[in-house]
Amino acid sequence: MHSALVRLQNVFGFFTTVAFTVATVIALSSFISPQSPSASVQLRNVQVVKGRPHYYSYKKEEYAHIKFDLDTDLRTLFNWNTKQVFLYLKAIYPSTRANEPASEAIIWDAILASNSAPWHQNHYTHPDPKSKLPKKSKKASLASKSKATSPYPIGELHLPNQRPKYQITDITGKLGNRTDVVLELGWNVQPWVGALTWANFDKFGAWQGLRGGRSEAFDLPEVGAKAVKKKDLETEKGAEGYRLEVNGEQPRRKNV
Amino acid sequence: MADQLLEQVRDAVEGQIDFEGQRLAELLTTVLLGAAGIIAFLVGFMTQDIRLSLYVGLAGTALTFLVVVPPWPFYNKNPEGWLPPHNATSGFSIDVDGQKVG
Repeated sequence: MHSALVRLQNVFGFFTTVAFTVATVIALSSFISPQSPSASVQLRNVQVVKGRPHYYSYKKEEYAHIKFDLDTDLRTLFNWNTKQVFLYLKAIYPSTRANEPASEAIIWDAILASNSAPWHQNHYTHPDPKSKLPKKSKKASLASKSKATSPYPIGELHLPNQRPKYQITDITGKLGNRTDVVLELGWNVQPWVGALTWANFDKFGAWQGLRGGRSEAFDLPEVGAKAVKKKDLETEKGAEGYRLEVNGEQPRRKNV
Repeated sequence: MADQLLEQVRDAVEGQIDFEGQRLAELLTTVLLGAAGIIAFLVGFMTQDIRLSLYVGLAGTALTFLVVVPPWPFYNKNPEGWLPPHNATSGFSIDVDGQKVG
């Protein structure tokens, strides 16, 4: 510690130790913050149609379009160390062969940002249940200056008759007439410092397991079981889907 | 004149302090940074605001750098009484336990 340079190095060296220690304690403090998440998932409507993975594809595949009701109370996932929660809804269905594990496919997801996270365009904003107007485009909502705010506290969702974000298909290309399909909620809590944690159904210390969060089992209908209107097969766009790119999709406008 | 000026600049940059000062600097580093870390966590946890934790921690660290790194006068309160420089022609002799060593 005899010269300024040595003192500089010593102070910085000990600072890194302190910073790492504090970060560790903060990471551990997540585990004493109690959690009691609950959710209910219900199937609203399911259709299976034939389609192509992309425009020039010769291969025809079967796609399932699943609408659902989702109500969640995940407020307790947001403690002081939570940056954001990646929430997703999986469709789980048994494989065609008994010795293979069940297939899982995500049909809907959302990035729920905590209060401490800086604004980002990909963050999920809960639709206003009272509003009958179509969703505002990004440009319009920016121009109106009023910040899009959720009508519910962070982590609380009430989505009746929600359209999926993704139509799903199977690796075999056949999805019609599958039985024992279940919708299951999952999440990934992303903290500021510390470990990522996923949804769990069992109690873990101060963390209660997820109550609900699984739909009743249902069967997929036959392909084209009933006449399908194109409007029924629309998918939801996340905010991240509106990134501007050449020939990319444009935000939905009011009159279109 | 220029040499003198350079000497002063070098002293200021090197920032040498005495032995007691070094002990004190070591102690201050540990205490200040440790306290900053503990306070940062507690303040953040109480207010449930992790950003506050970050800022308190960084402020404490900045304070520590300011207190410890420059050669403040209180680090030089116990200067060591070094022997005067000498060489063979200076005729100066050093006695250690009755033996001439220099």
